[in-house]
Amino acid sequence: MLLERNADDAAFGHFGAVAGYALAARRAMHTFLTGPETWKSIAVGQRKWANLNPAATMYDHPMTFEDYYNARWIVEPFRLFDTCLMPDGGRAVIITSTERARDLRHPPALIMGVGQHNPSSDVHQATHLAGPTGAKKAGEMALRMAGITLEDIDACEIYDCFTYTVEITLQDYGFFRPGEGEDWLKNGTIEPGGRMPVNTSGGQLSEAYYMGLTPLSEAAMQLMGRCGKRQLGPATDTKSPEIILCSDNGGILQTHSCVLLRRS
Amino acid sequence: MGEYNKPLPNFNGDSKEFWAGCKKHELRFQKCEICSHVRWPASIICPICYSSETKWIAARGNGKVYSFVVYHVAYHPGFENDLPYVVADVELEEGPRLLTNIVGCRPDEVKCEMAVEVTWEDITEEFSLPKFRPYQ
Repeated sequence: MLLERNADDAAFGHFGAVAGYALAARRAMHTFLTGPETWKSIAVGQRKWANLNPAATMYDHPMTFEDYYNARWIVEPFRLFDTCLMPDGGRAVIITSTERARDLRHPPALIMGVGQHNPSSDVHQATHLAGPTGAKKAGEMALRMAGITLEDIDACEIYDCFTYTVEITLQDYGFFRPGEGEDWLKNGTIEPGGRMPVNTSGGQLSEAYYMGLTPLSEAAMQLMGRCGKRQLGPATDTKSPEIILCSDNGGILQTHSCVLLRRS
Repeated sequence: MGEYNKPLPNFNGDSKEFWAGCKKHELRFQKCEICSHVRWPASIICPICYSSETKWIAARGNGKVYSFVVYHVAYHPGFENDLPYVVADVELEEGPRLLTNIVGCRPDEVKCEMAVEVTWEDITEEFSLPKFRPYQ
């Protein structure tokens, strides 16, 4: 579906994930009036985190709103900086019992809750492109398991194949109502010094694309206190994190999982 | 007909009837005999009620744009000369949504919910592609 020819799509010149998510984003522009004015704050906010992360592909490349708008179109409505990076590399996390983890060198991050919801329908027939995506039910499920509310979350590591994915995921989790993302994101909400840090490594847009492992490993590292210059807390003028929400999704918004991690 | 350098439809046993219809400039879809749901993509059972009792119907060819994108990059050399071109998800009056192209207007004239009608492009001896243009 993403990398190979999907049935008859190629006959009409339709290829790959960028255009699939762009179809979703365009429908959202129609449904709740989002667009580049919202997405620029995600692209630029995440880049600021990457500029604090020496391992990030975009560490030495600051970005302004002007840079965002001046970048070339890929598949409209997505410009270059709405799309994730394509690096070679790897990322891993080790999952074990709390008891065994306590004997290890670093303090562990603990899993508080998980949730999953999969709307499944292919983009051609999907009715969830402008939300609610799988994030809504997956998020509710994870919060219920953890016994907490959104108010308890200190930071988010959101699967960000495209800027719009971050907006619709945060919206479906309930951080803001449909169409209110532009206001919510204004004035550096997700940036260093912001009240809800998002994608603190730079994410897939500005650090590196390791699928769900980019958000998950960053959340674990932040809770372990291993993030150097970009460490949440006094170093970045943000809340010291107790609880971080992570997301992952697959297909064109067809699968979704949510994981809540807390500091040990 | 000159050398056609774009990918051809990748049809299977289920969608064969659809493409045979296209050759005759007719948009054919399966309609469930039990619940009346008109479906696409083609499949052996109805995705709503799971019945396999099906008949093929001809759609009128009118619909509206559900969503669309404008390609500014050619992911296949056959589309280089078409840039920028529009890929859209068109919702037909009969219900199914079809991935297609919008032609006959500039990309910046396309809007979600815009009324469109089918127009045919005969690409090879075997295939005609259903594309859509602004409703006239």
